[in-house]
Amino acid sequence: MKHLTVIALLACVAGLQAAPAKTPKKGKLVPAEAVKAAEARQSEFYERVEIPTPAGEVCEVGSIALLPSKKVAIGTRRGDVWVVEGAYDADLSKVKWTKFASNIHEPLGMFWKEGSLFAMQRPEFTRMTDRDGDGRADRFETICSKWGVSGDYHEYAFGSDPDKDGNVWAVFCLTGSFHSHAPWRGWGAKITPDGKFIPVASGIRSPGGIGANGEGDVFYTDNQGVWNGSSSLKWLRPGSFQGNPTGNKSYALADFPAPPEPQSGSRILTERLKHPAFVPPAAFLPHGKVGNSPSGVGCDLARGKFGPWQGQMLVGEQTASQVQRVALEKVNGLYQGAVFHFLGGFEAGLVPVRMDQEDGTLFIGGTNRGWGSRGSKPFTFERVRFKGRTPFEMRAIAAKLDGFEIEFTHPVDAAAAADVENYALDTFTYIYQSSYGSPEVDQTEPTVKSAVVSADGLRVRLVVDGLVRGHVHHLVVTDVKSKSGETLWHTEAWYTLNELPTSVTSLKLPPVPVDLSL
Amino acid sequence: MRPSSLLALLTSAALLSAAEDGAQVYNTLCAACHGPDGKGLNGLPPLVGSEWPKGPAERSIKIVLNGMTGPVEVAGMTYNIDMPPQGAVLSDEKIAAALTYVRDKFAGGAGAVTPAQVAAVRAQTTKRATPWTAAELLNAHPFPPAKTALKNLVGMMYQGEWKTLPDFSALKPALMEDFNAGVIDPAQSGLKDHFAMVWTAQFEAKEDGKYNFVFDCDDFGALYVGGERIAEIKGIGPVGGRRKEVPVILKKGLTPIRLEYVEFAGHEVVVLGYKGPKDKEIKWLSKTKANAPKPRVSIPIEAKDGVAAIYRNFIDKTTPRAIGIGFPNGLNLAYSADNLAAELIWTGKFMDGGHHWTDRGAGNEPPAGTNVIKLSDGPGVALASGEGSVVRFDRKGEGKEWTFSAVKVAAEFKGYDLDAAGNPTFRAAGEGVSLTDAWIPEAIAGKPGLRRTLKSEGDRPVTVVLARDLTSEGADGATVLGGSLSLRALSGPQPKAADKLLTVTLKPGETVVLGYSFR
Repeated sequence: MKHLTVIALLACVAGLQAAPAKTPKKGKLVPAEAVKAAEARQSEFYERVEIPTPAGEVCEVGSIALLPSKKVAIGTRRGDVWVVEGAYDADLSKVKWTKFASNIHEPLGMFWKEGSLFAMQRPEFTRMTDRDGDGRADRFETICSKWGVSGDYHEYAFGSDPDKDGNVWAVFCLTGSFHSHAPWRGWGAKITPDGKFIPVASGIRSPGGIGANGEGDVFYTDNQGVWNGSSSLKWLRPGSFQGNPTGNKSYALADFPAPPEPQSGSRILTERLKHPAFVPPAAFLPHGKVGNSPSGVGCDLARGKFGPWQGQMLVGEQTASQVQRVALEKVNGLYQGAVFHFLGGFEAGLVPVRMDQEDGTLFIGGTNRGWGSRGSKPFTFERVRFKGRTPFEMRAIAAKLDGFEIEFTHPVDAAAAADVENYALDTFTYIYQSSYGSPEVDQTEPTVKSAVVSADGLRVRLVVDGLVRGHVHHLVVTDVKSKSGETLWHTEAWYTLNELPTSVTSLKLPPVPVDLSL
Repeated sequence: MRPSSLLALLTSAALLSAAEDGAQVYNTLCAACHGPDGKGLNGLPPLVGSEWPKGPAERSIKIVLNGMTGPVEVAGMTYNIDMPPQGAVLSDEKIAAALTYVRDKFAGGAGAVTPAQVAAVRAQTTKRATPWTAAELLNAHPFPPAKTALKNLVGMMYQGEWKTLPDFSALKPALMEDFNAGVIDPAQSGLKDHFAMVWTAQFEAKEDGKYNFVFDCDDFGALYVGGERIAEIKGIGPVGGRRKEVPVILKKGLTPIRLEYVEFAGHEVVVLGYKGPKDKEIKWLSKTKANAPKPRVSIPIEAKDGVAAIYRNFIDKTTPRAIGIGFPNGLNLAYSADNLAAELIWTGKFMDGGHHWTDRGAGNEPPAGTNVIKLSDGPGVALASGEGSVVRFDRKGEGKEWTFSAVKVAAEFKGYDLDAAGNPTFRAAGEGVSLTDAWIPEAIAGKPGLRRTLKSEGDRPVTVVLARDLTSEGADGATVLGGSLSLRALSGPQPKAADKLLTVTLKPGETVVLGYSFR
């Protein structure tokens, strides 16, 4: 064999044996191991505690509400509503559970207001009141039941807390998660205090939770499936089409503008540029790596009591039994941002996520009935508290026209942080299609050209060659320590780059429609 | 470098990355349910010990491409959980790699799967939009017949009509045959009715120990092990209720076994199985595998301490917005918040939460009691004159061309109050209409009953449907509905019957009191 040919073949072999391009050049961590390593460090920063549930009772937690006097209300999948006393105490042996209501229809979203407990049940939004003070609800008022319920188990309804106008936002899962066999399945709506049903957005598939950020904008998680290449956190912008046309027919029930009929096999960016009402996911939760079955949506507004995450979203993940952290920003009028792994090791699959903003305690509830989860217990009720020691983390990532700016929680070691070799970027997107899910496609590998550390050491400005609008940008940071020598708790981020910040934008979002109530 | 080693290097590199890929795909996407060890997580189906990933690659490929739905038996347990499709997420190469990994690691080396095989199945199933059911897959790709512990199985068929076991020694068989597969099946007689079969075989015990035999017949029979009759099913009837489970101590090796069976008429079924000392699940010796109505989890919901039980969920034979109430005196009600009507009344047990509170809880659950009377369907409240003010959208039509149809009804559901004994007062309201509908358990004409008080406020008369499409006859001063439910008008306006529709009309401010009891 000729010499040159042998060398060519050897090079070919070397190419075959090279790991896929996603791993950083210097990094040695494979994502799954990295996640496990980070979970092991969790107790340095956060304390996770299981709150005992009443003996012999099945408490598959679907809703958590905060009540006055440090009481907490739990709604279960069997429909029981319990009031818990002592959930905040250091000594959990005294926790007391009192049943408030039995067997209501799967409440997913509960809150306390004006002496009553409000619950978004599968068939209706209900106000429950204990008028005679015996600890049990005796008045159940149906505030709104305008949406269709056909008897399919997948037709879940999730409800938010009231907004500043007292309206509650709800999202309605598709029938069987594939069809829309009843009015408003696949839609989001707001419900006024006197029970008016106002459709706000179409295009939803299978939510797992809903919650607002500090600005009062409402977000929900939507699970991977038809028209959803991967699960994501979406902005429920009034007047928008959220991507799934299955429920479109319902627009005929009210004077809502007809939602678009998008092209299958395309890309979200392509289709949304054709249809201005189409608002893209704020943050993809890449399937299998981050999101599998995302659920509850919360926001850290505890002003430091839960860590340096003021304003950031907390998203429950049922399958992996985790809470992930999403740092969003608004660019050209659209939300986008980065998802980071955050908390893990919970005992069952997470559903509700409830932050006590005054106290800084995060409550989570879990169940794994019917869907698998890493946490092996059939149900759980837990709380998480910040121990006070700020982890060294990427706090947030801001998109720039020519790169990203990473904000860290502690000043970085300047030499390592300025080394472009310590940052690896790869991008991908999903096919926007009517079939179930999508592989990652259109992969690219941008180049980090420079990394400039700010004077205070808290920010690193990356100049990147090869950003792709519409793609998820996966960033892995290796060997960057803080000035005091700490390693990063989590080293990966996935930033959904819907828009590139420009001073001039051609993006026109439709106006928010005038309320049309039923 | 010599060409042959280079080739080896190239090949192993390709294989290595494929194997890694398979494990990685499995651990990322499949292990969440099937477990990193293939044994199933949290009560989800295992791959280890399952027939499903074995055998024809096609079956496994179909499952991965399109998912599965509905009940499926895996390693002796029944599951009813949806498996999401992965065809749109994974390439042929990734599916082939993952299945090769699964079949190697969990399915006893069932053989690799190639991307070409995946591509072929994908091409055949492009039109498939919904997940597969177990029946569809097993129809196309059945499991191999099991090799049973019955050696030298011989079946003898006798013709005749018997209502008890005959003395077979006095009879001559019409047919006698070897059944080498070692599987007992009444179809081997070639007849449907009026026949008997006697099967004899050597039962092979793999080790010393206790063997629990499961035996059942339609119609009747007897089982002998080691020459001794260990179980008998008597009389004409179906399998299920008379099933026998009998332990026998056996020594390792062969023991004679004999099964006598008689089919009088109707269905012909023989169930024979056993669990040896090391078996986790029943091993079947008959064609019919009858897993004991798998302890369908039962979670009885009943009134307690004099307080009525309540159950809001999908109750069978009424609408999705159903509210069940189980009173302490044994009477039960299902109210439809869609139709604003008491739609079902029954006696006995209230509800079993086991269906909805297990797995994903799909479907409707029927009342757990007996004597279920369906009082009505359709709107339960109407204005005595004129159209209602509340718009309701129903779905009309089937398939892709369905539309919404708007219906105007008199009122909508406003909720309910519960008193200290859990007794409900349902509320409905619409323009000019406000109705309360209260139910209390009470003795009615000496029988356990329910006292119903309807009260109307507002500015116009409202008509309440009491029964629709039910036989109704007068007896003992009451209207008897459906042959067994007595309805008495205790005070207020009298119900009116017309054309199988029983209604009562209330003027604003009027109250009607009715008493319901079972005869």
